[in-house]
Amino acid sequence: MHIPDGWLTLLMCIVFWIISLLFLVVAFWRTNRTLTEKQIPLMATLTAMIFAAQMVNIPVLFGTTAHLLGGPILATTLGPFTSLISMTIILVIQAFVFQDGGILTFGANLFNMGVIGTFIPYAILIGFLKLKPSKNSLIAGGFLGAFLGDLLAAIAAAIEVGLSTADITFLGIGLLTMTIHHSVIGVIEGIATVIILLTILRIRPDLLKGTLPKIESVDYGK
Amino acid sequence: MLIGGFLIAILFVVIGVFVLGFANETLDIIAGLFGTHESETWTSPFPDYGIPGLEDNPIASLALGIGITGLILVLTFLIGWLVTRRKQKTS
Repeated sequence: MHIPDGWLTLLMCIVFWIISLLFLVVAFWRTNRTLTEKQIPLMATLTAMIFAAQMVNIPVLFGTTAHLLGGPILATTLGPFTSLISMTIILVIQAFVFQDGGILTFGANLFNMGVIGTFIPYAILIGFLKLKPSKNSLIAGGFLGAFLGDLLAAIAAAIEVGLSTADITFLGIGLLTMTIHHSVIGVIEGIATVIILLTILRIRPDLLKGTLPKIESVDYGK
Repeated sequence: MLIGGFLIAILFVVIGVFVLGFANETLDIIAGLFGTHESETWTSPFPDYGIPGLEDNPIASLALGIGITGLILVLTFLIGWLVTRRKQKTS
């Protein structure tokens, strides 16, 4: 899902750099007000885990592979703004140290994986919890949010590359294949997100109180 | 939590290096089919998660993966600490 340099037009690169930087400024501003000291080890641990998890290339369909996005896990445990900072750290290291994702396309990659891949899962989970704060809502919202976050981030990447090539065939094939393939990895992303969420709820529910509203009233079956 | 999380992260690195390291992503395949070429604007020190000259040495890749994972753990901790520290000063 990491778009390398050369795949997007310069205009698109600039636009996404600006959009992502704006999100990042707001993310630091919000995190400054919401991140608690006891959440810092969780933030550091999950960021390292997500980076490492992205090194695992999971076989999907027809010989292709995909990796976990990790944004949904970060967002549903730390909130979307803090997780955007975490995703930025991961993507900076990947782009500058490993050449995994471009420098010019960094803004687009950050927007896809750091913004779409975190805000969508968080919004969906919050929606479920606001409707009914229960363990089932947590599982359903966590799974659906992660699934859609992964899928929409992949679709966004396909649209950006497709529009840059100005080839309608590329756009069509890219959208179709990315939707199919990332539906598979989306299911794995959803399961992983729910497992992490339930684990944290079981061992350290206090860490989620500032992130997820009404989480105190969720009976997580301890 | 930090140690437990780091151990799980190392497990992912081990799996990534020894079991599921081969990447063949959908978007790359389609881009290749349509003749979209990657351009190099930056020469990274460890392209494709390998140490130059030791690309085929999994132990070197493992050490690199663990080292960078540790670096990310420390870096994120520092950034989180700086963000909360600044909040305490301004409030």
